[in-house]
Amino acid sequence: MHSAGRSWLLLTGFILFYIIYLLFGALVFSSIERPVEDQLRNDMEALKQEFLNQSCVNAASLERFLVKVLTANKYGVSVLRNSSFTSNWDLTSSMFFANTLVTTVGYGHNTPLSDTGKAFSIAYALIGVPFTMLVLTACVQRLMYPLVVAPVGLLQRSGMEPRPATALHFLLLLVLVVLFFFLAPAAVFSTVEMTWSFLDGVYFCFISLCTIGLGDFVPGTHPTQKYRPLYQVAVMVYLFVGLMMMYLLLRTFHKMADLHGLTTFLQLPRCEESDLDEEREPIVENRSENQTPHYVTEKEASKPLEPGSQPSYNSINKG
Amino acid sequence: MRWKTVSAIFFLVVLYLIIGATVFKALEQPHETTQKFAILENKLTFLAMHACVNSSELEDLVRQVVSAVRAGVNPSGNVSNQTSLWDISSSFFFAGTVITTIGFGNISPHTEFGRIFCIIYALLGIPLFGFLLAGVGDQLGTIFGKGIAKVEKMIVKWKVSQTKIRVFSTLLFILFGCLIFVALPAVIFKHIEGWSTLESIYFVVITLTTIGFGDFVAGEKGHLIFLSGSESPEYLDYYKPVVWFWILVGLAYFAAVLSMIGDWFRVISKKTKEEVGEFRAHAAEWTANVSAEFKETRRRLSVDIYDKFQRAASIKRKLSSELGINTSINQEMTPGKRTLSANLCEDRDAYTSLTLSLTPVSGGLARNGSLYLNGLSPDYADRREIAIIENLK
Repeated sequence: MHSAGRSWLLLTGFILFYIIYLLFGALVFSSIERPVEDQLRNDMEALKQEFLNQSCVNAASLERFLVKVLTANKYGVSVLRNSSFTSNWDLTSSMFFANTLVTTVGYGHNTPLSDTGKAFSIAYALIGVPFTMLVLTACVQRLMYPLVVAPVGLLQRSGMEPRPATALHFLLLLVLVVLFFFLAPAAVFSTVEMTWSFLDGVYFCFISLCTIGLGDFVPGTHPTQKYRPLYQVAVMVYLFVGLMMMYLLLRTFHKMADLHGLTTFLQLPRCEESDLDEEREPIVENRSENQTPHYVTEKEASKPLEPGSQPSYNSINKG
Repeated sequence: MRWKTVSAIFFLVVLYLIIGATVFKALEQPHETTQKFAILENKLTFLAMHACVNSSELEDLVRQVVSAVRAGVNPSGNVSNQTSLWDISSSFFFAGTVITTIGFGNISPHTEFGRIFCIIYALLGIPLFGFLLAGVGDQLGTIFGKGIAKVEKMIVKWKVSQTKIRVFSTLLFILFGCLIFVALPAVIFKHIEGWSTLESIYFVVITLTTIGFGDFVAGEKGHLIFLSGSESPEYLDYYKPVVWFWILVGLAYFAAVLSMIGDWFRVISKKTKEEVGEFRAHAAEWTANVSAEFKETRRRLSVDIYDKFQRAASIKRKLSSELGINTSINQEMTPGKRTLSANLCEDRDAYTSLTLSLTPVSGGLARNGSLYLNGLSPDYADRREIAIIENLK
């Protein structure tokens, strides 16, 4: 009863803190962005007036024209001269769209126009999203050994205690990920994309890899982009690998928090090794059991033996 | 997971993406082309109707208007009666979309400082929301679990199997959840926002899976009146907070559903693996049984042949003793046979010892390989004699 009451208390605490955090964010965004917005609005008004003064167009027909242009633009169809030759739905762009759908990034720079397209998107997403999550988790499981468990073991054998070793390793991993998946790609993007600055590149990398995907920056959408298909495929690969690294980081952090007792303190679910770990080849398991650091073997021992973990035909051969 | 499995699944995902790409292309490209032609036509008609405007001026204007709309500024109508995209409730909503990683994108920060703050804000906020989601999902799970337990207790009286109950409860969970978190909000959105049924369901699914395209956003109608061409719907004060709350709980539900689908994939892959493993186990068992039988057969066969040889030898002895010297002159005895007969004459008691020592002999026989079973000619029998003599010694 005590723990149940405590979990409810923690949950309400979380919700309250979350609301406060949202309010705080709202205040800051509002105070930063609003003046700029007002300025832009005034500029627009002036632009419109200038246009109307110089020409024979009357306000009403301009409004009508603008409405049509903006509706088309909302779906990615542009009326500007040099954009009429590239489609938003050729094969690589459609694949890019499918990728944003399935990784839940969802830029929204082009969205399905037809009803069938919308219905298909629903079905495609419902199947594709868990599928992608599964693939990403599987890849991360596989990467855990060479990227996390082995280095931490190395650190431990050179004399460090488990807790500082994991903390140091996590920091190292963080620095490496930031360098190779944020700063380096941002530099590449800022040179390839003509209108992006370095900060825009970092902003884009961050917004994409957290799967927020606001869509204000999307690579490869400029109509004069050279080698567009290749570029889009490269960005897709980057997104996938980057997502995998983010998951790896998250999992490492979760394990570290487990070790430091944070998760039990906050009554959060522990970082459990899923069933996928059981199916590693026996030789890998034997090797790793000798080399895994203290905290991992503890966890392995505390798990109940899965009934299907040992293949049954081994016993026949030995007998 | 083995590398083979991971790479197999990876290729499956790539295949899935390619299939999706071809379907989307087939569905959307014709529509896009029609739109393009329509808007070009509009532009040309406009230019034709208003001769004093040249093409480049118009394009300039359009470009600026488009980027303004992207920033959320509505260039049509008057300046005074417009609501800001960055008033407190909209900013709250934006902060929510960032933290939940939905990221609609109809509003996004345009100042440098705004973007930097967005990054820092998301870095702290996303894990925070993750914890919250875990907590809410947990509570939801316990509430639903208790309900399921009650239902299961009732059904158990009807003596239905456990798996059927599990399947039934999962289906119930999905149905119930869909009703509360998908169907009901879709109806509400359709009514308030004026979308079609498909568009409402599309919005619900795209939001709750955190994809969040932003082509449809609940509560944005007030900003883009001119696009809809109709009167701005009067939003009740609590509309946006209720939408936010629905997103929170709906996300927990969708996370549960998606993880369930993921579990099914895992179970399917495990079952296939188990079946393959079972098949391999059966094959190995069969092979082991066959080889054991093989060994047994060889052993028995070697004993059999040795017995027959013994009998033949004893018959020969009888004959030789009856016929005396004749047999020894007439028959050409190989040296092996002579020594064996000599030995056998001496040691009749050796029979018992022979049978006792049969196992190592049969091992010796077996070691000489499968030739033994094929070659039962006298020549081979000679070799066996030598082997027997050697073993006996």
